[in-house]
Amino acid sequence: MSYRSTDVDILDEDQLFQHELFTFAGGSELEPDVALKNVQAKGVDVRNFLTRGNTEKALTTAIENPPYGSNTTDAKDQNTKIVMEVLNSLKATDVSSIVKNLTLDQQDILMKYIYRGMASPELYNSAVLLNWHEKLTEVAGVGCIVRVTTDRRTV
Amino acid sequence: MPFVSNTLRPYLAAVRSTLTAVLCLENFSSQVVERHNKPEVEARSSPEIVLNPLTISRNENEKVLIEPSVNSIRISIKIKQADEIEGILCHKFTRFMMLRAENFIILRRKPINGYDISFLITNFHMEQMYKHKLVDFIIQFMEEVDKEISEMKLSLNARARIVAESYLSQLTQTCELIPGHKRNFSNFNFLNKSKVLSYRNFRISEQG
Repeated sequence: MSYRSTDVDILDEDQLFQHELFTFAGGSELEPDVALKNVQAKGVDVRNFLTRGNTEKALTTAIENPPYGSNTTDAKDQNTKIVMEVLNSLKATDVSSIVKNLTLDQQDILMKYIYRGMASPELYNSAVLLNWHEKLTEVAGVGCIVRVTTDRRTV
Repeated sequence: MPFVSNTLRPYLAAVRSTLTAVLCLENFSSQVVERHNKPEVEARSSPEIVLNPLTISRNENEKVLIEPSVNSIRISIKIKQADEIEGILCHKFTRFMMLRAENFIILRRKPINGYDISFLITNFHMEQMYKHKLVDFIIQFMEEVDKEISEMKLSLNARARIVAESYLSQLTQTCELIPGHKRNFSNFNFLNKSKVLSYRNFRISEQG
């Protein structure tokens, strides 16, 4: 019988679950549709900044307050799309100066999105992302990558 | 081709920096079973010691998946396969190495689903070997494997050409022995007719 494959450790009261590895900023996870609405509103702002040519502000807005948690898949996808739009629209020569002006937290979130984008090469242009990755690593160092792997608030 | 090397360099640079970052391993015994010490990325005995996996891609056909954990990391590489021959060669090549995995120390016996070859580095490997040399090895492997496969493809094509030529030259010899061979020749559309004719003329002149 399948009793061998039953995970008896799950009944242990010391057992730690994936969702217990981090806490949400507001105490609990946002409802999926609320998170999606927030991201869509953000997308409008970002597009406005982009049309006005304020690319730096567009990038910081796009990576601000990213949705995380396990239920907000749509919002995450939408936010990734927005960030990728911004990254693609920036000139390759401007990358290093923009990256330098970001705060430590912003750099970490940007790195998360770069890896997120590279995970689906059929949707996003990897060559652009690799360039961003290189520039960001130059500025933020490998510590930034370590923080991406250890931060449970995946984007 | 300058375009290719343009994306290859940042691709390898990204893999290098990511590997350098995640190769921070320590000895870590199982939290669930006493006296067990297993690579946590494989055992996955508790969620808090397996870290977020990272993917680095050059395009859809070439990517690297890096799965870190507290005492081990798993690196899976998807090798470029432009056509069926490269697919077969890549499969044979990786299979050859994975059958001898113990000689490569960090090689995993089976690749992860969707990738062609996987490496498993544990804290014990890190104690025996230098970190920068390990990173260099992976990067060098990724550089060499593309070259290796395209070289094998070239030599395979060259061999196939020689085999076909010698086989077909024998065929033309047999054809000449059959009465009415001209009719037979017209069936071999794939033969280079002028070549066959010149070969026949050569044979006739030789006999005459």
